[in-house]
Amino acid sequence: MTPTDSTRSLPALSRGWFAEWAEAWNTFWFTPADPLPLAVVRICTGLLLTWSCLVWLLDPDAFFGDRGWLAPTDVWRMNDQPWQWSWFFVGAGPNTARVLAGIALVAAVLLTVGLATPLAAIVSLLALVSAANRAPLSTFGLDDTLGMLLIGLAVGPSGARLSLDERLLGAGQGSGAPSVHANVALRILQVHLCVVYFFSGCGKLFGASWWEGTAIWGAAANVQYRTLDLTWLAWHPLVINVLTLVTLFWEVGYVALVWPRLTRRVFLATAVMVHLGIGLAMGMMEFGLAMITANLAFVPAASWRRLLPQFLFPVSSESRTVSS
Amino acid sequence: MPPAPSLRRSAAQRLLRLGVSLALLVYFAAVIIAPLSGPPPASELSQVILQPFRPLLGALYLGHGYRFFAPDPGPGHTIRWTIALPDGSTRTGKTPDAESDWPRLMYHRRFMVAEKIAVLVPPPFAPAEAREAAKGDWLPLVKGVASNLLRSTGGTRITLELVEHYLPGPQEIVAGTSGEDLVTPLGTFARREALRK
Repeated sequence: MTPTDSTRSLPALSRGWFAEWAEAWNTFWFTPADPLPLAVVRICTGLLLTWSCLVWLLDPDAFFGDRGWLAPTDVWRMNDQPWQWSWFFVGAGPNTARVLAGIALVAAVLLTVGLATPLAAIVSLLALVSAANRAPLSTFGLDDTLGMLLIGLAVGPSGARLSLDERLLGAGQGSGAPSVHANVALRILQVHLCVVYFFSGCGKLFGASWWEGTAIWGAAANVQYRTLDLTWLAWHPLVINVLTLVTLFWEVGYVALVWPRLTRRVFLATAVMVHLGIGLAMGMMEFGLAMITANLAFVPAASWRRLLPQFLFPVSSESRTVSS
Repeated sequence: MPPAPSLRRSAAQRLLRLGVSLALLVYFAAVIIAPLSGPPPASELSQVILQPFRPLLGALYLGHGYRFFAPDPGPGHTIRWTIALPDGSTRTGKTPDAESDWPRLMYHRRFMVAEKIAVLVPPPFAPAEAREAAKGDWLPLVKGVASNLLRSTGGTRITLELVEHYLPGPQEIVAGTSGEDLVTPLGTFARREALRK
């Protein structure tokens, strides 16, 4: 306590404490941010959802039909009904399933290229939720992550940059300028991702194999997941220990250490390595890429401007950003 | 005298921020309560808090536990099937099948079918009462699998088995040994029975 604090009354101190919280909250959520990172997240999410839609369309009857893996009358066994709605409940016939999955595909493509983006983002979210709620037997982490990403994209101005909307509507709209709207969407993605890693890390702390440093072996030796033969690790137990413990500490620590500038790069780089490793070795590339996409929300706009080719940025929108 | 436009804007902005802040608090309360309340173990308190958030969690597909590869990565499962075809021949296969399920995302979605059913099916060495009690949970889902496979192959009868693939330890790999897969019969279903459910 500072000498000044000791002379102040308790109510005054509380008011000061609450004021500091309010100021920190305002700064965190309501400082204008460049929508460029959101646009990058939009393109990656759109591509992943497009791919997922194409796979659904390879066998729509199995996923959404009345004689699919899970009959419409049995969905309640896997879901929290009536809350987990789905537009696939409208009809389970082969044509209905195809048309509805086709709408999802169109929305995903529009989201990717950034055409009618606000509407495309909302329809994409509804499509993802519908598919996941109709076919809960076939869902996994990819769907959880796409859902999280699409909420952020539906909330924010995700089509303000790197989009056909930006090109077609011209630079005079002001939508690509830093905005509170963009910041809220990016913060939603960032905080949600921290929640995901925190609970995923805490869940691992229950498991003896994570403490023993052998859990990675359990994933590597599982033939059903395996796309890269890592059984040579059996001769290198210490490597298994290192890989397991680094994964555990990274995941548990992410919630705190992705925020400071000094540790952010380390945590984001580790995220890329972990998720690419899962993608390559365990055949879950889409899930790995979805998680990497979520991590991209932490990469600042200035970095994207250095990394991306300049032709992606219309001159007028760049000058607008700089002037604002 | 009416307030100046800038003051009115400032008041409206404050009100908007308050609304957005409340919405964010509700959203993240929902996001956090979902993994706190499941999968087990979970506190009774989290179950109570969860109730008002169920509509939001369901509507936005947010009710996840986020326990990726936790608490411990376990063995993988497949559903092995034998189908009798109308011409009297039989066809065997498995779900998922890395050879025929393409692209990999299709394989993984089918893999999830086997994995999610496996969670509900007790092993053959479990007490008979426990196995019987669990049937109510997994049998309707297995009939769905039967129905889908009969539809896609045109078969008349199907026999299903759940295979839990043995997960060898590093020492076993080094020694060149391995264990047996665990096979649990799931039943035989005629086309009509699978459809009736």
